[in-house]
Amino acid sequence: MTATVPAPGAREGTGRRAFDKKAVVPWLFLAPGLLLALVFKFWPMAKGIWLSFFDVRPFLGDKWTGLENYSRVLTDHRFQDAIGHTLILGIGQSVGAILLGFALALLLEGQARSLKFLRTAVFLPAVTATAVVGELWRLMYYPTSDGLLNSGLHFFGVGTVQFLDNPGIALYSTMVMGIWIWAPYNMVIFLAGLAGVDRSLYEAAAMDGVSLWQRLRFVTLPAIRPALMIVLTLATIRGLRVFTEVYVLTGGGPAGSTDVWMTRAYTLGFSRNDIGGASAASVVLLCVTLLLTVLVNHLRKRGEAR
Amino acid sequence: MGDRRRRHRLAAAATVAGLMFGTAACGSGSDSAGNSDPNTLEVWTRSDPDSAATYDRVFAAFTKKTGIKIDYQPVVNFDQQLQSRASTKDLPDVMINDTALMGSYQSQGLLKPIDPASIAGGDRITDKSWSSTVGIDGKHYGIPYSRQAQTLMIRSDWLKKLGLKAPTTWQEMLSVAQAFATEDPDGDGKADTYGMVAPASAQNGYAAMWGASFLWQGGAQIIAPDGKGTYTPAMDSTAAINAVTWMKDNLFCGKKGVVQPGAITAVTATATNFQDGNAGMYMTGPYNITTFDATPGKDKYEVVPAPSGPAGGDVLADGENVYLGARTGKDEKELALASFLVSAEGQKIAMAGTGVHQPVVRIPVNSTLDAAKVRNDARWSVVQKAYEHASEQFPNAPDFAPIKQDTADALNSIFTYCGGDVRSQLKELNDTLAGDLKDQDLLT
Repeated sequence: MTATVPAPGAREGTGRRAFDKKAVVPWLFLAPGLLLALVFKFWPMAKGIWLSFFDVRPFLGDKWTGLENYSRVLTDHRFQDAIGHTLILGIGQSVGAILLGFALALLLEGQARSLKFLRTAVFLPAVTATAVVGELWRLMYYPTSDGLLNSGLHFFGVGTVQFLDNPGIALYSTMVMGIWIWAPYNMVIFLAGLAGVDRSLYEAAAMDGVSLWQRLRFVTLPAIRPALMIVLTLATIRGLRVFTEVYVLTGGGPAGSTDVWMTRAYTLGFSRNDIGGASAASVVLLCVTLLLTVLVNHLRKRGEAR
Repeated sequence: MGDRRRRHRLAAAATVAGLMFGTAACGSGSDSAGNSDPNTLEVWTRSDPDSAATYDRVFAAFTKKTGIKIDYQPVVNFDQQLQSRASTKDLPDVMINDTALMGSYQSQGLLKPIDPASIAGGDRITDKSWSSTVGIDGKHYGIPYSRQAQTLMIRSDWLKKLGLKAPTTWQEMLSVAQAFATEDPDGDGKADTYGMVAPASAQNGYAAMWGASFLWQGGAQIIAPDGKGTYTPAMDSTAAINAVTWMKDNLFCGKKGVVQPGAITAVTATATNFQDGNAGMYMTGPYNITTFDATPGKDKYEVVPAPSGPAGGDVLADGENVYLGARTGKDEKELALASFLVSAEGQKIAMAGTGVHQPVVRIPVNSTLDAAKVRNDARWSVVQKAYEHASEQFPNAPDFAPIKQDTADALNSIFTYCGGDVRSQLKELNDTLAGDLKDQDLLT
């Protein structure tokens, strides 16, 4: 273990004992976290991959079925529909939350006391339990003129909209809630990025008389590129495994129009008692997530190299 | 070897949860010392705290009478917890849970077969109830404990205000629903009332549970037994097409307000319009009586038999069974507990709810008891009559979970797309059901 860690002490040439000690200390601090991750993340994950090859029958003994669970999941038309919904929801939610988060960060950047208050208020959705947010949005989307949004629409002379019960727009209604939840989270990361922007660049830009757009394009965006990459990676992962938002708001309905990969896997595992199939579906998602994360990282490194 | 297998199954439920949410759900953690004590029975029920308080009284009476101790665990997410316990091959000694899950448990080998003759007082349980605990191999795998059937809860004050009578047929029900929706029964001058409540989301199979009564009343069946232990999917029958078409055309795609807004995404927990006071009818089980007595109020609604369809008035019956966990080796004590639970004494304690504490036995399985008399509440005889004379249950022998879920998915989809063709959609459902039965080797 120690051999793989190039400890700074070794380079300073302070001797072998110091090398060991200094290398061990960070691992000691990491140990509890690693142990927890091993027991509660990697072990179950490994078992999940294992189980995805079985017909899982807890008390009778599992039956090896090879890749059958995978072929069943991948050829199920409801899972195929769910891929489409997951992509639309994941991409829409991520892009929306990033744009809104960035806009919020630009608006709320600064030192003033009132801004602190505003930032806290704006951040609230990110710390509220998604289940609670879902219930609130159900009320806001209530499909009569009593609903908050519909009463607003009535005021402008627009008829009642079935936000969640119209299969054509239910997915987009869910997306809006997702953007609302995740934008403030992104905002905080952008705010941290913006804090690192060299102010003199703004002054120089102002002297050169650039437009607001040019200032954003050539000064702000390059400076917050690292923050943007973090947000993008997180959003990719989150977008793919979206579950709670859909589950509490529509349960995948109506008519499966908001069914995403995770709600499908949940139904398979817990409504139909098909643990093997649900594991296979989860493993597929794991692989896709890994691939995408690697891809985003690759693009980031290429971007940095340029 | 055994140890290895045990460990990898332990992870089963936790794993799926872990992959799904990025956090791992631990097992129940109730691998209690009590289970190894030969004089203690570990008992699980699927109960919230309000019902658990009633069970506490039942088990206290049992311990007082027999000296056998009970380690009682009310479990809210029963199925997930049970699966993780099953993976350790260490099940609770006694479980009380829904009748419709018996096929699923039995197919996983979780249950011990039961000889009805070994239950003291088992002869006081009706044949109808006993027949619902016969498994796929002809043996009994559960002891009936509590029964219930759906009835129509209806706002009597609204009926009175509009000069209407409680409906007895589908057509009358539709007229009453339309009157409730349009004639301002609550007198507030606003069009904010609805005919009836429908939890018609596909989530957890609700659309199938709520829609089943309509299917039977229309003469349809989801799957039909052929008497040789196998089944045929029957959702493409003319009766099924007619019943589903009637529901679609009149309740979901007809006039506005017949069912509550948002019905096609509503589950029972979110379909609260009856207790919120803005919907006038709800076909549901008697477990809601305690809730509805608080709001809208005991004097504001009545319990009547469900309206009849073209083929009669059968409603969905359901209930709980006592199950004995496989291979726990405390047979004598388990049977003693089961006998107490179905005895007149045990059932009476379980039927008494105090205040917010829910009664856990709705309709007693002990034929010497009368629900209405025990509770001194005539409304319960409506439920008891519905159960005894006009009810059907989901088939108990097959694993009904996938069948229920697929039926719910299809019904929800039909009710959502008003332009769809019911006949072809039900044909498609029928093919899916055939696949489910084939997976269980139960297709004729």
